[in-house]
Amino acid sequence: MGVVLLWPTDVPNDLVLPRVDADAVFGEEQVERAERFESFRYVLWVLSQIALFGTLWAYTRRGAAFTRESSAGPIGTGMLLGMLGLAIVWLVALPFRIVGHWWSRRYDLSDAGYLEWLLEDWTLLGAQFLSLCLALLIVMGLARKLGDRWWLPGAAVFVAIAAAFTFLAPYIDYTTDPLEDEGLLAAAREYETELGLDEVPIHVQEVSDRTELANAYAYGFGPTKRVVFWDTILMAPFDDAEQRSVLAHELAHHSQDHLPEGIGWFAIFAVPGAFVLMLATKGRGGMGAPEAIPLALLVVAVVQLVSAPASNVITRRMEEEADWKALEVTRDPDALEGVMVDLSETSLSDPNPPGWVHLMTGTHPTPEDRVAMARVWADRDASREAPS
Amino acid sequence: MAVAQPEQRPIRLVMNDDLERNRLTVFFRLILAIPHLIWVMLWGIAAAVVAFVLWLAVLINGQAPTGLHDFVAGYLRYATHVGGYLFLAASPYPGFRGRPGYPIDLEIDPPQRQSRWTGFFRLLLALPALVLAATLGGGLFLGGSSGGSWGSAGGDGASATGAAISFTGTAAAAAFLAWFAILARGRSPRGLRDLVAFALSYSAQAGGYLFLLTGRYPTSDPTLAEKWAELPEHPVRMVVDDDLGRPRLTVLFRVLLAIPHFVWLLLWSVAVFFAAIAAWFAALVTGRVPTALHRFLAAYVRYSTHVLAYVFVIGRKFPGFTGRAGSYGIDLEIAPPERQSRWRILFRILLAIPALILNSALSGVALIVGVLGWWYALVTGRMSEGLRNLGAACLRYSAQTSAFVFLLTDRYPYAAPVLRGKAPAGPEQHPPHAYYAPPPPAQDAS
Repeated sequence: MGVVLLWPTDVPNDLVLPRVDADAVFGEEQVERAERFESFRYVLWVLSQIALFGTLWAYTRRGAAFTRESSAGPIGTGMLLGMLGLAIVWLVALPFRIVGHWWSRRYDLSDAGYLEWLLEDWTLLGAQFLSLCLALLIVMGLARKLGDRWWLPGAAVFVAIAAAFTFLAPYIDYTTDPLEDEGLLAAAREYETELGLDEVPIHVQEVSDRTELANAYAYGFGPTKRVVFWDTILMAPFDDAEQRSVLAHELAHHSQDHLPEGIGWFAIFAVPGAFVLMLATKGRGGMGAPEAIPLALLVVAVVQLVSAPASNVITRRMEEEADWKALEVTRDPDALEGVMVDLSETSLSDPNPPGWVHLMTGTHPTPEDRVAMARVWADRDASREAPS
Repeated sequence: MAVAQPEQRPIRLVMNDDLERNRLTVFFRLILAIPHLIWVMLWGIAAAVVAFVLWLAVLINGQAPTGLHDFVAGYLRYATHVGGYLFLAASPYPGFRGRPGYPIDLEIDPPQRQSRWTGFFRLLLALPALVLAATLGGGLFLGGSSGGSWGSAGGDGASATGAAISFTGTAAAAAFLAWFAILARGRSPRGLRDLVAFALSYSAQAGGYLFLLTGRYPTSDPTLAEKWAELPEHPVRMVVDDDLGRPRLTVLFRVLLAIPHFVWLLLWSVAVFFAAIAAWFAALVTGRVPTALHRFLAAYVRYSTHVLAYVFVIGRKFPGFTGRAGSYGIDLEIAPPERQSRWRILFRILLAIPALILNSALSGVALIVGVLGWWYALVTGRMSEGLRNLGAACLRYSAQTSAFVFLLTDRYPYAAPVLRGKAPAGPEQHPPHAYYAPPPPAQDAS
C-alpha cells in the first residue's frame, strides 16, 4: 500500500532517455580524467566493503569478550559493545579513507590537510557513537521489556526519530548563513510561486576552504523547509543560469514532498529490517542481551548492503522528478546540461559509471542520464510550442 | 585496595616540619625569598652545565663521578629547601649551601651504575615526568619555555640562557591558600603542607632523573607521601578496587566511548543544580539534608567520579549510568546525612572557594595523569600504578569538594594527595615527624 502511494512521480511514464555521446558533451579528456579518478575509488569501495564485513564477522565471534570491560549493566554494556564495534570498523576503514583522501588531494578535489581531515573524522565518529548509543538504548530497552515483539514498536520509534530529526535538522544546523544574492533570491520567489510553495529560506554553507566539490541540498519539511547551497556552487564555473537550475531542483524536492516521502520509504524498510534483526539475534539471547550486539551490527550492515540497490532506485526516482520539475520551472535545459558538465569538472563524477556501481552506490541518476533528460525535455517543449 | 609498601627510592624527601609558622615571615615570604631565587637560578645554570658532563660520564663509564654527582645533588637539595620555604611548606629561612637538616629536605643516594641507553635518551625519557612535575608545580621553573620544573634548566647541560623563575601548578595554588590560612591561624594547614611536600618530592625525583643522579624513573604514587601525610576520617572516602590491565582498544577510544556518559552527566547536572538549591533550603531550615536529596546528590558525585576515572584511564571498566555504590573499581563511600552547622550551610559557596581553587589545580593534575596514562596504557596494555593512584587521589579531593558544595557533608576536603595515611594524632602526640617514620601496614584504602 505504502509503495503504491509513494512510487508515482511527475516524470512522464513514457519517457525514454536517448544515449548521449559523453565525449561530446563532457569532453573526451574530462571523461577520461573522471573515469580514472572514479575507477580507483570503485576498487577502494570494494576493498573497504570486504574489510568491513570481515571485521564485523570477526567482531561477531570475539566481541562478546568485551562485556568483561563494563560495569554498566546490560544496556550500558550493549552500548559499549556497539561503540567498540563502530570504533573497530572505523579503525579498519581508516587506511582506505586515508588513501581515498590522498586520491582526492591528488586530483585537487580537497584542500584539507591530513590532520584537519582526521580531526573532522573523529568528530563525525563521536556523533555516530552518540546516535548508536541512542538507538541501542531504545532497541535494548524495548527488547528487555517486550521480548521478541520489540521490532514493531522499535521500528515505529525509529521512524518517529527520523521524522523528528528531518523536521528539526534546520533548527539544529548552525553551519549555514542566509543567502544574500538578490538575483537568486528573486528567482527563488518566482520558482516557489510556480511550484506552489510558500517562501523557503535559502542558505549558504561555506566549504570552499576545504573542498572543491560542489553541492546543494534540501532539508526540513512543513514549516522547517530549507535549501542550502555549498558556496562552491555559487562560484565559477557555475554561471547564474546553472545556479538557478540547481535552486529549482532543490525547491522541487520540497514541492514534491520528497523529504516526508523519504520518511515513508524509511518506514517501509525499517519494519522488515527490525524483524530480520530480531530473528537474527534470537540465538544470542535477543536484542536485550549485550552479547547479541556484535551480531546485530553485522546484520545491520548486511541489511544496508542488500537494500542499497532498492533504496538507490527510490532516491534516483526522486532526483529525476526534481530535475523534471526544475526543467518545467526554469525552461532551461541548457542550464541543467551545463550543471552536469561543470559538476563533472569540479567533482569528477563519472558520466556513465559501471552498472554494478550505479546499482550499489548510485543515489542520483548518472550525469549522462540527466543530460539526456534535459534534451528529452527540450524536444518535448519544442514540439509543444511548434503548432503555435 | 592493597597498596604496595613504598620501596626505598634513591631520592627521598624527608620531613621535619611542625606546621608552626611565623606570620611576619609568611606575610613577606615572596620578598624574603628573592635572594634565594637569584641564587637558585645561578646555581641551576651551573648544575645544568655539570649535568651535561654527568651525561657524558654516564655514556662513557655507566656511572656519574662522585664529585659532580654531589654538586648537582647539592643543587637539588638546595632548590628543594627554597621550594619548601617559598611554598610555605617550611618555616626557617634556608641556608645558601643546601646542607642537610632543613625541615623539608632530600636524601640522595650516592652514584649507582646506570644504563647507558636510558642515559643517552634521558632528556626524552624524562619528558613525561617533567610534564607531571610542572603540573604539580613543586619545583622552581628555570628556563624560557612554559611548564617545567627542575629539569627544565635547559635539559642535559643545554643552555639555560634567558632563565626566568615562575611559580606554577598545584603547589603554587596550595601555597596561595596556605598563605591566608597561616596569616589567620599562625599554623599551616596540614593537608596543604603535605600536598606541597608531595609536589616537591616528585619534582626532586624528576630533576634527579633528568640530571642523571639516578637511573630510577620517578614515581608519582601517593605512597611517597604516606611517610609523613595523614588521611583523617572523612565522610567521603575513595575506594580503589581495580586492576591495572587496560585493553588497548578501550584505551584508544576512551574519550569517544565516554560520550554517552558526558551527555548523561550533563543532563544529570541540570537536575542536580535544582536539587542542590532545594537541599540548601531544606538544610538551612532543618539543619540536615533530607535523605532522598542526599542520596540523589551522592549518586551524582559518585557517578561523576566513575566517569572521570574512566576518561582519565584511572579506572578500567566502562562505568554504569546510575552512580550506584560498589559498582565501579574507583568508587566512593559516602556517609549518610548528618546534622550540619547552619552557619556553614548558609555560607557554603563562599567557604568552598578555596577548595574549588585547589580542586581546579588538582583537576589539571588528573588531566595530565589521564594523558600520560593514556599513552602508557596504549603502549603497555597496563596503567602505571603510580599514575593510577595519583589520579585516584586527585579524584578523591574533587569528590570531597563536590560533596562539600552539595551539602553532603560539612567536613572540608582534605588536600594531601594520599589514598591512605597515618592516623591523625593530637599535637602533643605528634612531634615533628621523624625521618622515615615506619609506614603503616598495608590496608584497604576504604
